[in-house]
Amino acid sequence: MATIAAPTHAGHAEASSQNTGIWSWIATTDHKRIGTLYLWTALFFFLVGGLEAVLIRTQLMKPNMGFVSAETYNQLFTMHGTTMVFLAIMPLSAAFFNFLIPLQIGARDVAFPRLNAFSYWVYLLGGIFLTVPILFDVAPNGGWFGYAPLTTVQFSPGHNIDFWVIGLQVLGVSSLAAAFNFITTIINMRAPGMTLMRMPMFTWMSFVVQFLLVLAFPPITVALVFLLMDRFFGTTFYAIAAGADPLLWQHLFWVFGHPEVYILILPAFGLVSEVLPTFSKKPLFGYNVMVYSGIMIGFLGFGVWAHHMFAVGMGAVADSIFSMMTMLIAIPTGVKIFNWIATMWAGEVRFEVPMKFAIALIGMFTIGGISGVMHSSPPADLQQTDTYFIVAHFHYVLFGGSIMGIFAGIYHYYPKMTGRFMDTGLGNLHFWGNLIGMNLTFFPMHFSGLYGMPRRIYQYDSGQGWDLFNLMSTYGTYLIALSTLVFVWNFVRSRTRGAVAGNDPWGAGTLEWSIPSPPPEYNFAQLPEVTSRYPLWDLKDPSKTAGIAHSHADAMTITDAHAVPVHEETERFTAKELGIPMPLPTAKPLFTAVGLMTMFSGLLFLRNDLFAVAMTITIGGACMFIGGLYAWLTSPLE
Amino acid sequence: MPKLRLREAGPALLFMVVLLTLTACGDTVYPNTTFTRFTDLNSSILSLWDRLLFWGTIVFVVVEAALIFTIIRYRKRPGGPEAKQIHGNAILEITWTAIPAIILVLIAVPTVKTIFQTQAPAPAGALKVQVIGHQWWWEFRYPELGIVTANELYVPVGRTVSFELTTKDVLHSFWFPAMGGKRDLITNRTNYMWFTPNADLGTQAWNGFCTEYCGSSHANMRIRLYTVQPDEFESWAKHQASPAVFNPLAPAAPPATPVANASNRRPAVPAVDTAPAQPSTGYVFPIEKLPAHVVPQTPIPAGLDFDDALLAGGDATRGATQGFMLGGCIGCHAINGVPGAVSNIGPNLTHVASRHTIASGLYKFDGPTLARWIKNARHMKPGVIMNTIGRGEYDPGMKMTVTAGLDDRQIADVVAYLMSLK
Amino acid sequence: MASHAAAAPHTAGADAGHDDGHEHHHYTTTGLDNRKIAIWAFLGSECMLFASLISTYLIYKGKSLVGPFPHTEWVNEAGKRFEPILDIPVTSASTAVLLASSFAMVLALQAVQLKGKPIAATAGWWERIQRSSQFWLAATAFLGATFLGFQAYEFTSFVHEGLTIKTNLFGSTFFTLTGFHGAHVTVGVLWLMTLLWIDRTRGLGPKDELIVDICALYWHFVDVVWIVIFTLVYLIS
Repeated sequence: MATIAAPTHAGHAEASSQNTGIWSWIATTDHKRIGTLYLWTALFFFLVGGLEAVLIRTQLMKPNMGFVSAETYNQLFTMHGTTMVFLAIMPLSAAFFNFLIPLQIGARDVAFPRLNAFSYWVYLLGGIFLTVPILFDVAPNGGWFGYAPLTTVQFSPGHNIDFWVIGLQVLGVSSLAAAFNFITTIINMRAPGMTLMRMPMFTWMSFVVQFLLVLAFPPITVALVFLLMDRFFGTTFYAIAAGADPLLWQHLFWVFGHPEVYILILPAFGLVSEVLPTFSKKPLFGYNVMVYSGIMIGFLGFGVWAHHMFAVGMGAVADSIFSMMTMLIAIPTGVKIFNWIATMWAGEVRFEVPMKFAIALIGMFTIGGISGVMHSSPPADLQQTDTYFIVAHFHYVLFGGSIMGIFAGIYHYYPKMTGRFMDTGLGNLHFWGNLIGMNLTFFPMHFSGLYGMPRRIYQYDSGQGWDLFNLMSTYGTYLIALSTLVFVWNFVRSRTRGAVAGNDPWGAGTLEWSIPSPPPEYNFAQLPEVTSRYPLWDLKDPSKTAGIAHSHADAMTITDAHAVPVHEETERFTAKELGIPMPLPTAKPLFTAVGLMTMFSGLLFLRNDLFAVAMTITIGGACMFIGGLYAWLTSPLE
Repeated sequence: MPKLRLREAGPALLFMVVLLTLTACGDTVYPNTTFTRFTDLNSSILSLWDRLLFWGTIVFVVVEAALIFTIIRYRKRPGGPEAKQIHGNAILEITWTAIPAIILVLIAVPTVKTIFQTQAPAPAGALKVQVIGHQWWWEFRYPELGIVTANELYVPVGRTVSFELTTKDVLHSFWFPAMGGKRDLITNRTNYMWFTPNADLGTQAWNGFCTEYCGSSHANMRIRLYTVQPDEFESWAKHQASPAVFNPLAPAAPPATPVANASNRRPAVPAVDTAPAQPSTGYVFPIEKLPAHVVPQTPIPAGLDFDDALLAGGDATRGATQGFMLGGCIGCHAINGVPGAVSNIGPNLTHVASRHTIASGLYKFDGPTLARWIKNARHMKPGVIMNTIGRGEYDPGMKMTVTAGLDDRQIADVVAYLMSLK
Repeated sequence: MASHAAAAPHTAGADAGHDDGHEHHHYTTTGLDNRKIAIWAFLGSECMLFASLISTYLIYKGKSLVGPFPHTEWVNEAGKRFEPILDIPVTSASTAVLLASSFAMVLALQAVQLKGKPIAATAGWWERIQRSSQFWLAATAFLGATFLGFQAYEFTSFVHEGLTIKTNLFGSTFFTLTGFHGAHVTVGVLWLMTLLWIDRTRGLGPKDELIVDICALYWHFVDVVWIVIFTLVYLIS
């Protein structure tokens, strides 16, 4: 009963012919395809954000460079931050949530496949809405942090900030919808035997991230609603003439903004926690502590927001409390670093491309962590905040941490996603270009900052002691840009030219590697019963997992009537052949997403005194949204 | 071998850290360095920083060394040992939780002490300075001395200066890297900060910056700080508190300026180039003592032409009585002693010619630059509120050509007038 | 084709849960329906939303430069007097209405659960009416709509008394906070009316318990939030 006879004719070819073409992507509800869409879209925005960085660095290459105007520069740095945070790193993580979580927990899809599609489409539309204005020199220019009252109509009368407020508001809907979906998926869709403490570390870290999203996005939603109402309806939340307090925005923003940092970094931590054991041939060192430290980071992440505000004058007591909370968060983070090193200790470390990126994450994130502790001390931070020292710090965290981790994940999971390897030579070129480039770019920023260079300035005089550092940073950026082009070439080319990968090309231990690459639409032909953290190692090399908790005995006596022991699935069928009901393709989520975006964009016209136009578009969008929602909810899933 | 290159990267980085940290002392190369002990505030901060850097370096070395050792020692080799299947070790994990915790306590205790020490109320007898942020310039008021000035701040060495920070519009942040940490200017709030320049600091000029993003010209909101000797400060303050030295618009009697140089009262005399400050006009930081890094270098944008020959013929009286009115200058700028010139939308110009920079440290204070600034300020400093005044100039803010406004000769008169306001 | 053995994976399907009113149950880890878990996650998020809105109201409390004020009178430059603007008796009534709606919601859920169970011939009117899910759904929606009516009246009278969303910090925070709550009640009423419509067209039974249950969770949440708002905004001055 555990084996399936091959069908009499090639089901595979038939299945793939049904699943190609634009429509199959527009109407898809398959978490793997949605993950792929996320990946491509986010990589596109990553390139856009990178291009913005290149322009920024070109302007700063030399004193009084005059390459772009002040207004353009301000748009560039605002959009670089906004793009990288909301349109690149978060969705790159989302690509992995989508692709991996169901595979890692042994599910056939996410809990709400159509909501998942909706999240993607809202993200895509919101991303376009935010990005297109820069082509017309009207992009948001208030910084990614959008501090009031600069962002109010009084000081920013153009449409620039309107795009930012609406765009982020819409992206928030996408993130929240996705978070509800993944929380439900992880709680409720795990295969039999997949207890919480057996979940792969990526799924665990993603699980923490979903809670951060659910709890951190409402405050910024509220902050943005206030700003939106101030801008479009004349309320007084940030109106200085009405006695508003600008710290309201700052508190609401950073109550979101600091957990957001962990939203950006924890998925990368999860990815390297998959990569390191695989390429060390050892299980993750101290799994339990890794889980608890992840939860601890997420929890403490909500208590440290005001360390972004040490210069605003909160008073000595508040400064001290937030300072100590911030130092506290260094402890679970440090534990992770040591546990990763211990994972490699006494292992057989193979320097494949994903492993190189994972090792680089440990080395580079440590630097960002240490500089982070340096400005957890408010008096020292007063010399550092809003200087290039901070820019250096968070790029070591976000580039050295998130981006390195995500690249480790991409090289690691590319064979699973496409069935083919990425080229190793090009991968190495990309890795070294990235590693050297990032250090050349961001290490000198520590010095330009401590030697007095403020952030967000579009020009500076020579002789300030910053010239050399800026020149180095600019050349470093060019190196990163070039190596990223190598990556893009590799990424695109390997889809058709890469060496063919089997189920388990790296010798990994988790469930996703037990099924074919790329996985069939139903993921698992039979529901696997999981007996340990590394079920595939149990199967292939039990000595490796002998020391960790198991329910081996139960493997013979399957607890769930329908499950079978974990095994490698090598045959491909269609879901129909197996009789597995799959969610039907539908474009209703896209329709609904278009409605949502339309509804919000109508507001833009309000500030041009085009009330009728605004109302027509907004009400039209709302009708589309509600109609789409009803149509979607009343049509069958499968 | 890629592996080897990684091995080299670690020590190289560390070397860079040490090397560049050592050079921190050289403030000729790094004139805006934060590694100074020039004030009590920054001494406290630097002591804390030294401790942070010490522990940071140790952690950095330990972690990176452990990482590099591990990946080299345990790299997969043909015939090498098999991976040992270790899953965890409670004692080790407790150890590397506890050690960072202890280090953090060693950082936290002096941190909290320094917070309370530096945020305590300023000692009695401090010199009060009100700092008011504007997009994109700084207004400085010395309420006890009756001084209102802009963008260039004089403080005596050896005396605590206590800043009261507010803003007229958006958020700004007030920072002199060499003097100590910054403090934000928050709309509808008042912030405080104080420091004491060392008594042995000497008469020196320093750079300061706005460090909270505040819009288009955030980069162009710079400050000059002059630490001067107490007697120099007294002389400067006394003169700054007096009304304008040259004042054809003043009521006839009594003379508005007790220390005014009589020669300045004769029209058509003012020298166009910066003449050395007259002794009777009070102390001014000597221009020849300005180090290169506090002299602005912003290039004047291309296409902003002015016939510099006209400057020699500029008539200060005509500038005061006609240009200053027709150009609308009086609408925004105060000149103490001039009836009607009381607005504080723009910087107070009473003693504008005693400053060394214009446009908040963006350009040198000299005739040709001043003329171009008056002609088209918005072209020289993006987003600035000051109108484009030159007739026929394109106003990048209003996106139209100015049809009224002043011609070059009238601007030369205004320049002559401003240059006389020592 | 592939008929053999295919049955096992089919029924085993730990596949997609559904975001619609589908009937048969799939395997889930907890045994709960996916939607039940999702609604709790959603309500957790909503807690943060209202926490942020309420915090803002409290932060700005007493900070308005001009009136009208919530609990104190105000005289403007022209000498015009403005009474304290909050009308606590009227709002107490609307609060009672909303509380009653939660009670009706409980009974609506019970009625759906009891659908199809035999009822004694001697049952009185109350037992009979207890079995009518339509009645209780309609009652809940009606009470919710009544609450909205009160709110519309309150907003209108405030505007007449000179307090709009633009007037001062109090106006902005008050209208936004209560407006957000009102919007939630509106969504709830539409949701209840949709359930009522389903009940009328195909009838809701015990198998539909879940879709009524998640609506009830939402409705009670909105009700609890109002208790907090009523206490912090209206009662405490």
